[in-house]
Amino acid sequence: MKNSISNKILLGSIPPWRRGLGGSKKATYTNPPGPLLQKGGNFLLLISILIVSSCSNPYKNLSKTECSADNIKQIPYALPSSEKTLIYKADISFYKNDISGLLIMKKMDDSIYRIALTTQFGLKIFDFELNHGTLNVKYCAEYLNKRVIINTFQNDFNLLLIQNQVKNIFIIENPERNQKIWQLKSGKLNYNYIQNTDSEKIENISFKKQNSEKISVGLYNYKGNIPGNITLKHHNIKLKMNLKLIQ
Amino acid sequence: MKMLTTILSLLVFTGILYAQESGFSEIMNIDKVKTELNKLSDNTSTIQSKFIQEKHLSFLTENIISKGEFYFKSPNQLRWEYSEPFEYIIVFNDKNIFIKDEDKISTFDTESNKMFSEISNMMIGTIQGDLFTDSERFDVKYFENTNQYLLELDPKLPEMKSMLKTIKIYIDKSDISVAKIKMIESSDDYTSIDFTNRTLNQPIDNEKFNIK
Repeated sequence: MKNSISNKILLGSIPPWRRGLGGSKKATYTNPPGPLLQKGGNFLLLISILIVSSCSNPYKNLSKTECSADNIKQIPYALPSSEKTLIYKADISFYKNDISGLLIMKKMDDSIYRIALTTQFGLKIFDFELNHGTLNVKYCAEYLNKRVIINTFQNDFNLLLIQNQVKNIFIIENPERNQKIWQLKSGKLNYNYIQNTDSEKIENISFKKQNSEKISVGLYNYKGNIPGNITLKHHNIKLKMNLKLIQ
Repeated sequence: MKMLTTILSLLVFTGILYAQESGFSEIMNIDKVKTELNKLSDNTSTIQSKFIQEKHLSFLTENIISKGEFYFKSPNQLRWEYSEPFEYIIVFNDKNIFIKDEDKISTFDTESNKMFSEISNMMIGTIQGDLFTDSERFDVKYFENTNQYLLELDPKLPEMKSMLKTIKIYIDKSDISVAKIKMIESSDDYTSIDFTNRTLNQPIDNEKFNIK
């Protein structure tokens, strides 16, 4: 709740290219259209149709089945449901900061996780609780404790742990590339969990806003059901995360 | 009245017990200990030791264990080498810091990197004994039992305070060497480092303090 309020306050101060990272809440515009917009409405509509249709949709000609949002648990991806404490060696580069240490993830309850990063010497860098998609800060080193950064981590961990609120799920089959794509949609946002039909594992995750890719995740070297390596990359900010499973 | 005294004394005693690590009692004659502890820096030219690091996080039932080896050469060379859960080496050599992380080697200098400079100060300061005499940065309390001295350092500076509540340093009386360091964060999560198989004043090759 607190987060959504600060999102609104902050939205004005975040440059437009970053707004996509401000959380999964959709911005709503309630002001009535001004006279200029009404007159030129048709023209604007034409332009927007041209712009939207020029964005290619790679999944356009593939078979697509809609299923209910309850099927989210059928996605063959065990990271969110693992009862074990997961420890990854983490290398995070964020603009000019290189942070390295241990990332510890622990499922506490349904949709409640603790996610902590410590240095090799053991000192905590951050300790977050992800509770039904909202990231609560238990501790965070001063240099990272900025609303924009916390929201970015919230998006990243929501994506990794499938905690985003979604309205529809589509299953898209792409036999040519041996892929089955679990597409989770919420308005203009979509979260694609891409399963390799040979290995049966989720090997890529991509977060798109209006078909423009914002975050890509690669998942490799599975140890049982848990990805041994995770690489997460943002396309519009300089943030990369490399995780290597230790335990 | 009797009841009141009982309650009061209970409160007082449990208060004392709570504030003090069990088995250790506070030392009143600090000067004598300080003279003892000065031997730590005066008589130690090198230290070589294995270590076991335990990280306690309140939300985990098991601690996270790391292991490795540690080399120190007076006055300011230190090699901290993790072998588990993965290889990671950090070397402090005068004002330079080298980190070897898998195959990647990075170099920093303590003057430009505040966090590393703090780590370096703390690690070397602990071994050298400078840390306990630094009354500007720490409030120090002295405790002892039959085998060990226990020094409790409470950081005074806000930057340090936001990271750590207390640093406890356990020093063996037999050879006045650091046996254990426990760093307690404000959340009560802690990191404890136990030094085992310690050898003092044996030659260590200078190459140990360079990473190429």
